[in-house]
Amino acid sequence: MLLEVKNLNAGYGYLQILRDVSLQIDKGEYVAIVGPNGAGKSTTMKTIAGLISPMSGNVVFKGEDITGLSGSAVAKKGISFVSEEMNLFVNMSVQENLYMGAYTIKEKHLQTERLEFVFELFPRLAERRKQLAGTMSGGERKMLAIGRGMMSNPSLMLVDEPSFGLAPQLTTSVFASLEVLIENGVTILLVEQNVTKTLAVTDRGYVLENGKIGLEGRSADLAEDSYVRKVFLGV
Amino acid sequence: MSKNILADLTAWVRTAPGLSMVIAVVVTIAATIHSGPYILVNTIVTGGMLALVATGLTLMLGVLNIPMFAHGEYFMIGSLTAYYIFTPISEFVLEHPESWLVTFGPLLAIIGALLGGAIAGAISEKLIFGPLRRRSTDNWVMNSFLLTVGVSVLLINLHQLIFGADFKGIIGYWQGMPISIGGAYISLDRALSFIISAVIVALFYLFMTYTRTGMAIRAVSQDITGAEIVGIDIEKIVLLTISLACALAAVAGGSLLFMIPSYPSVGLEPLYMAWFVVILSGLGNILGAVAGAFMVALLKVITVEYVGAGWDFVVPSALIMLILIFKPSGIFGSDVRGVLDK
Repeated sequence: MLLEVKNLNAGYGYLQILRDVSLQIDKGEYVAIVGPNGAGKSTTMKTIAGLISPMSGNVVFKGEDITGLSGSAVAKKGISFVSEEMNLFVNMSVQENLYMGAYTIKEKHLQTERLEFVFELFPRLAERRKQLAGTMSGGERKMLAIGRGMMSNPSLMLVDEPSFGLAPQLTTSVFASLEVLIENGVTILLVEQNVTKTLAVTDRGYVLENGKIGLEGRSADLAEDSYVRKVFLGV
Repeated sequence: MSKNILADLTAWVRTAPGLSMVIAVVVTIAATIHSGPYILVNTIVTGGMLALVATGLTLMLGVLNIPMFAHGEYFMIGSLTAYYIFTPISEFVLEHPESWLVTFGPLLAIIGALLGGAIAGAISEKLIFGPLRRRSTDNWVMNSFLLTVGVSVLLINLHQLIFGADFKGIIGYWQGMPISIGGAYISLDRALSFIISAVIVALFYLFMTYTRTGMAIRAVSQDITGAEIVGIDIEKIVLLTISLACALAAVAGGSLLFMIPSYPSVGLEPLYMAWFVVILSGLGNILGAVAGAFMVALLKVITVEYVGAGWDFVVPSALIMLILIFKPSGIFGSDVRGVLDK
């Protein structure tokens, strides 16, 4: 078991969003969390990433309890979070952004290795290595955010809404790049609003509604489930 | 190819930074020819000192969103530390004129000032800014501003209480014949204090641009959540930034001790001048702050020379008002976000 979330309760201030959320991810899996707006998908991700400290419950990563650690401490354990807002360093070049992604790696030659690997995955970023991140298009920024997340050689990537605000064509290319990561043996926990697409590519899925896990199972089964079809797909 | 460079150059001159820098250089040359080389020397010495204080201020504002109004007091701490280190050294040197301290004693005092400022900065973070940040970051700019004003009053009065209100000055750091450059005589102290500030500003710029830690500081200033998710320890970076900013002010105070003696409110003038620089050059821009520092220094020197010594605050303030009305982001600040833009 790579990541195990047990009975997680979390929220902002007095407002509780997540209620007893539990989920597990094995090494090499491609897992999705789907659900309507405001269900708590992003909150789940932020809590695992250490940006929100939970009210109760546990997050266990590689057998180690990482509940309540700060975001930077969680990143050092090998979890990398690609947030919905991307949180890029807009006044830094593409290459500087990527080097910052490898902040937890101290050895220079390992950083360079990672950089070459990411440039191989996204040749587009290599072409634009000197450009400031703030001046790139939405799709390129998304690629940069995913690339930056890859730089630390993470065991687990949390990817939040990669298709948010993107044109359909770009969405396809972002999904394709995640596919490449999976082929390279990275474990991904994906949050998406594009339910059809997500359930088509992932191995397993969790359906989150009102801060609770409603359904879970293989993605193919979820896509066939009559309740999911009615609520999310409208058919 | 050379045509291209020329075209770029004319385009640059037409932008606000280019135009203001060209005007500044022209004014400096004209005034130097008209009144004598001391105009240039004064501008460079004052500008170098201001650059140190203003870079620290830019750092506090750009990285931590703290409008620092206690920065002058770290200048004061620097000059006080240098005074108490250098006084025994100079007494010792009087009795032992052959000692290595003749040359390196002043450097010890200035390095002491640097360390004193860094430690004072770290203590302020631990006792004041850290607790406020953990308590609440609502209304952060306003609250931290008020806090720095309080720190300023506290430090000024602590100085008065412990060390007294008298002037604590020295005759000079390095004794020796003034250097003659093009008919102007520059004392060794002035020349070396400028070299020290130039070296420190250059090192600081290289540190911020090329080192891992310097990049982490810039990352925190651009996106604090982004910095956290790549594994940057925010608390450490904040502590380091405050320490660095205060050390920059303190080293300015220390290296100028031969010109400006230490007394409780010695930091107020450098503080206001540094704020002029930051408003003039825009927020969070190190190179802009350096250029702005020399412009404000020039303005001050010119005003003293041609308008009168009592006006050296009035003219820069008037200019700042004009800039705030017509170009609120500052001359160099067009691509930098302001604190309130977030």
